[in-house]
Amino acid sequence: MLTNLYDIYMQMLKDEMFFCFSGPVSQHVVEGIGATLKLKMEIEENDMNTIQKVFSIFVEQIHNIMNYSADRLSHDKKGGDLGIGIFIVGTQNGSFYVRCGNKIYNDKLFIIKDQVDELRTLGPDELKALYRERRKNPPPEGSRGAGLGFIEMARKSSRPIEIDFTPVDEALSFLSITVFI
Amino acid sequence: MDKFYVAATRSTPYIKFDPPANTFIISGESYPENAAMFYTPVFAWLTEFFDLPDPAPITFDLELIYFNSSSSKALMNLFTMLERLVVAGKDITVNWRYYADNDTALECGEEFMEDAPGLKINLVEVERPE
Repeated sequence: MLTNLYDIYMQMLKDEMFFCFSGPVSQHVVEGIGATLKLKMEIEENDMNTIQKVFSIFVEQIHNIMNYSADRLSHDKKGGDLGIGIFIVGTQNGSFYVRCGNKIYNDKLFIIKDQVDELRTLGPDELKALYRERRKNPPPEGSRGAGLGFIEMARKSSRPIEIDFTPVDEALSFLSITVFI
Repeated sequence: MDKFYVAATRSTPYIKFDPPANTFIISGESYPENAAMFYTPVFAWLTEFFDLPDPAPITFDLELIYFNSSSSKALMNLFTMLERLVVAGKDITVNWRYYADNDTALECGEEFMEDAPGLKINLVEVERPE
């Protein structure tokens, strides 16, 4: 039985979630939704620096789904390799947040959890120093980007990055990352 | 040597390297799916170009409104490359152009200056186009 869509819609409005996406993520999604998100925030006359921070955290979060989701849609011939996940942009007590979730292999999960736990203990100057040190050195093993995404988000967020996970089976968990701007 | 030209997309910058015109521009937004892959041909062209004997003084104009963390890494690699060339005797200047209301872009420029101290990076405030 399908859940009543109006109930979902009203619940999201009530919870101040103004953007939601669930499914396979491609660069088209990043560009299109990113541009729409910016436009919405510009129309509502948010200040430029807030808009940029929300956009920047959105990009880092959604690239994580693309790169690290264990749920994938791949097609060798068409060259497609899409990560599947969910993200929500909303507000709580006047602060914007970007929340992302995807399935992930547990070995990867523990690497991310250790990294986020460490970042949660660092202040702005320490985050800046770590970011710059990491940027000058080769990326960590297993990273598909520069290994800077979480530090970038930690620097732009107004409170420590929140990490949650729910075991799915022996090999997989569902990872959820919430970043407040 | 051929010019290097890449048209902008929503998530990748406009790039034009035209040595006879002393034009070395990277401008726009940079958050490609794979920044390392996107910037590989840029570095390949620059490596070949700087192997040529005695290029004239060069000015890079960088005007990046937004770039993601892996593009930031690519930019750091670019500045490290240019810094090494300056130490080896090349005359290179970088203009880091930013919009007045874009604090993030200014801060990023300042951090690149600190992290590539041997390279001359000018912070240039520009008007946001209407």
